[in-house]
Amino acid sequence: MQPAPDFRQYAELARRYGLAAVPESVSRLTQLVARQDSSVDEIVRVIEKDPALSARLLRVANPRAADESEYTVGTVDAALMRNGIGCALLLAMGTPLSLALVKTFQTMLSLKLECVDLWQIERISGPHMCGAIGFAGKVTGHVYLRMSQPSARAIAAGILGLKPEDLSDNDEIRDAAGELLNIMTGNFKSNLCDAGLDCKLEPPRVGMTDDYTTPVEPGGGLERLAFRADKLEILIEVTANPWTD
Amino acid sequence: MAIKILSVDDSRTIRLIVGRAFKSYDVTVIEAGNGEEGLAVAAREKPELIILDVTMPVMDGVTMLTRLKADPELKGIPVIMLTAESGRENVLQIARLGVRDYLVKPFKEEQIIEKASRCVTLEKRAVTAA
Repeated sequence: MQPAPDFRQYAELARRYGLAAVPESVSRLTQLVARQDSSVDEIVRVIEKDPALSARLLRVANPRAADESEYTVGTVDAALMRNGIGCALLLAMGTPLSLALVKTFQTMLSLKLECVDLWQIERISGPHMCGAIGFAGKVTGHVYLRMSQPSARAIAAGILGLKPEDLSDNDEIRDAAGELLNIMTGNFKSNLCDAGLDCKLEPPRVGMTDDYTTPVEPGGGLERLAFRADKLEILIEVTANPWTD
Repeated sequence: MAIKILSVDDSRTIRLIVGRAFKSYDVTVIEAGNGEEGLAVAAREKPELIILDVTMPVMDGVTMLTRLKADPELKGIPVIMLTAESGRENVLQIARLGVRDYLVKPFKEEQIIEKASRCVTLEKRAVTAA
């Protein structure tokens, strides 16, 4: 079967503009989650083919486990049965965020950012930089970006090509953190919209806070992703409200 | 004479990066923080190229592009979209409005130079002896 004209036209534009696509497994997963008639078996097959997605799903399904030895839910199938389709949606949302963040560090800071287990980064406590963007539409929730003040300063300086001590005010740090959040969520929104899960982004809110609780609606989901590059540590949180479709 | 490039983005960080990218070229980078300001600056300064963000307060990049292309005096200015959103509908809509090129954030400074040089002739700034 020939692809629909706008898909062909988009593919041609993507080639001309040099646009990068999200991994096939993530795009397929998002499409399956967006469809109302997908079976859990189909979703399981897509996730099982991708070791990174499988590992993340099991982590989400075992929120209290410190490591794999403490998992009470051990298979992709069981994780989806227990946590529902919203769990797969979180995976589909987290991957573009994660890829965009890693790429931003690579292209704008020449730093290799690694996704690590949560226990591998220092627990964020006390005053820290927190950015939040809400998204609303067929899927609704929030993306949070948290980092210590020294990390936020070092990242802003790196993006702006300055030394951390040369940053004159907190506005520059806030603006750089806001842009980092914009880049991540823009990529994430594209993946959701392409799968038919249209949503709109709210303007980012960035500032210092000592509140590190992340509101999750009853029945909703939360995925935490931790990243590290040298001494820089970043925590990303994605919340999704209960899936009603 | 230096060519004028207008950077329209609500992020000071991005405007700074765009300005830095062209630092070694004979280019004057002028700035605007949203589409409304962007249209006013474009009408006043008649830049040779516009580098335009999509999501901005007051007036977004798609609205600015639509109005720019409807203005007989400004419609010929090439526009490069610089955005984090590369979703199918977004790209198709923007391409139909007549954008010259599309660059997805995050980007390297070399990429913006490469895309800009397809629209305007960039010349290295002359080095003045100390």
